[in-house]
Amino acid sequence: MKRFSRMLLFALAATLALSVASCAKKPAKTTEVPPAPTETAPTPAPTPAPEPPPPAPEPAKPAVSAADLQVVYFGYDSFSLDDQARAALDGNAKLLRENPSLAVSVDGHCDERGTVEYNQALGQKRAETVQQYLVDLGLGADRFRIISYGKERPAAEGHDEAAWARNRRVEFTPR
Amino acid sequence: MRHRPTVRLSLGFAVSLVLVLPAALARAQGGDVRIDVKSGAIARLPLRSEPLQGPPSGPAPVRPADEVLAADLQNSAVFQVQRMWAPDPVSTEPQFVTSGKWTVTGDKVRLDGELRDFPARRAILVRSYDGTVAEWRRLLHRFSDDIVQQITGERGVADTRIAFVVCGGKDKELWLMDADGHGAKALTADKSIAQSPSWSPEGSLLLFTSWRGGSGPQVWVMSPENRKPFLVSGRAGLNTSAGYSPDGQRVVCTLSQDGNAEIYSLDARGSNPQRLTNHRAIDTSPACSPTGREIAFTSDRSGSPQLYVMDVDGGNVRRLTYDVDYTDSPSWSPKGDRLAFVTRVGGGFDLWTCRADGTGAAPVVTGGNNENPRWSADGRHLVFASNRDGGYGLWVTDLDGALPRKLSTGGRCAVSPAWSPRRASGR
Repeated sequence: MKRFSRMLLFALAATLALSVASCAKKPAKTTEVPPAPTETAPTPAPTPAPEPPPPAPEPAKPAVSAADLQVVYFGYDSFSLDDQARAALDGNAKLLRENPSLAVSVDGHCDERGTVEYNQALGQKRAETVQQYLVDLGLGADRFRIISYGKERPAAEGHDEAAWARNRRVEFTPR
Repeated sequence: MRHRPTVRLSLGFAVSLVLVLPAALARAQGGDVRIDVKSGAIARLPLRSEPLQGPPSGPAPVRPADEVLAADLQNSAVFQVQRMWAPDPVSTEPQFVTSGKWTVTGDKVRLDGELRDFPARRAILVRSYDGTVAEWRRLLHRFSDDIVQQITGERGVADTRIAFVVCGGKDKELWLMDADGHGAKALTADKSIAQSPSWSPEGSLLLFTSWRGGSGPQVWVMSPENRKPFLVSGRAGLNTSAGYSPDGQRVVCTLSQDGNAEIYSLDARGSNPQRLTNHRAIDTSPACSPTGREIAFTSDRSGSPQLYVMDVDGGNVRRLTYDVDYTDSPSWSPKGDRLAFVTRVGGGFDLWTCRADGTGAAPVVTGGNNENPRWSADGRHLVFASNRDGGYGLWVTDLDGALPRKLSTGGRCAVSPAWSPRRASGR
């Protein structure tokens, strides 16, 4: 049992290292991301699991990812933040503050009603509003990248108010 | 002054016209001959389509070819076609008769086509069309377009194409097909989102929005022939909704690089952006008028999305639509005298048209969500995306009021159509 949990820890550390490594490739703009430590970038899935190495030297970061950040929802044809949205963002801001190396894509989405082009602009407005709120809370703008998906990537497939409400949103995804 | 076709009416035909007249403003049922209210001219001239002669078997299958020509002529919205091979051909005396003959030589095929004035018993168009066997459908399209030109003075649009977007799961790819829905093929395989295709004025290039670059929506361009995309605008934020100016020298699009969705004019390579709108609201969906002097666009500066027109330098902005609470997707008719657009009515979106100054706004297609209207090159039809029969597909409406017809996209979910201009030489 103990052995299993150590393996799990190792696997976690490995995926973390991998995701850092893959992040480092993308932006190429700033050199903020430290080069991936070469020895901890292992082959993806060691099947027979040899004797696990001593516990990772730095268990440091509590494993928070963009997926832990709450989705923010909006009213129809609106990009303003209501109390619920602000509460979600306050929570997200706390997580981001505690994890200063976490950089995210702020993705704006819309429901299916209305035109492709208008919804692209609306998604952009939603993402910008969310980013501005987080920046106003003291977070660095360079931690965010805004992408509008308009109505192209619904979270719910239905064609009723319940589905539309879930699709009018800003999501956070890893970058 | 051009020869205007005079129409001799049989008694039965005249009676049916009188019967149809009071209902002329109502929606047409099927393809009935109807009165064009605006000009008073008779829409849909009766035309008899005779079977084409030729080798009964062979690369150009005879009966399918007959159907292709008959469908082209019917879909021109100029003729009411009587198929001579149909089980119950309409008995109305035709005004025109088409006939033709195939000759196949190796991998080449010739179509000798003829259009006759039926009452006068004389040929009014005799023309031969040569091509490879593989392109036999195009020979029929060209014959149909020539017939339309002979009768109306303006070429038809059978020999054109429609670019569109196929939605499959999370991804959307760009596709292309003939105007009759035949020969659909994918232009992109990006496993990303492609949207909003728009043709260059001479029909050789397609502008489109794509997320293929990985950093949000960007404007790309490709030739449908070689399918290699080039980046036109990948500035920070939105790069969407692009279209060419009528001379092909500028690309008008929506960018948010200055912190808000605004309309810009770029040169054809995407450089030298010139900002045309300056408002805190969303400004998008720009469309250059055929004269190149004006740009229609959508703005929610009044509180809800509405249509506006501005001069091409961004000045002289005036609002076009008032009576409806959400309008978007402006598209100029080829002559520049009308605009098609979508408007929200209840829970759905209808297609409307209005004059270039915003007057005369009236619905054209209602029921369900009808989106992205785009004109055919002859201004007689609109292609649009709709879920009016369930899933999203492509539809064409003839502006004489006939019921919309669905284009086959092989059962694929399809949106965002763009009708190509005519091919350069008609060849």
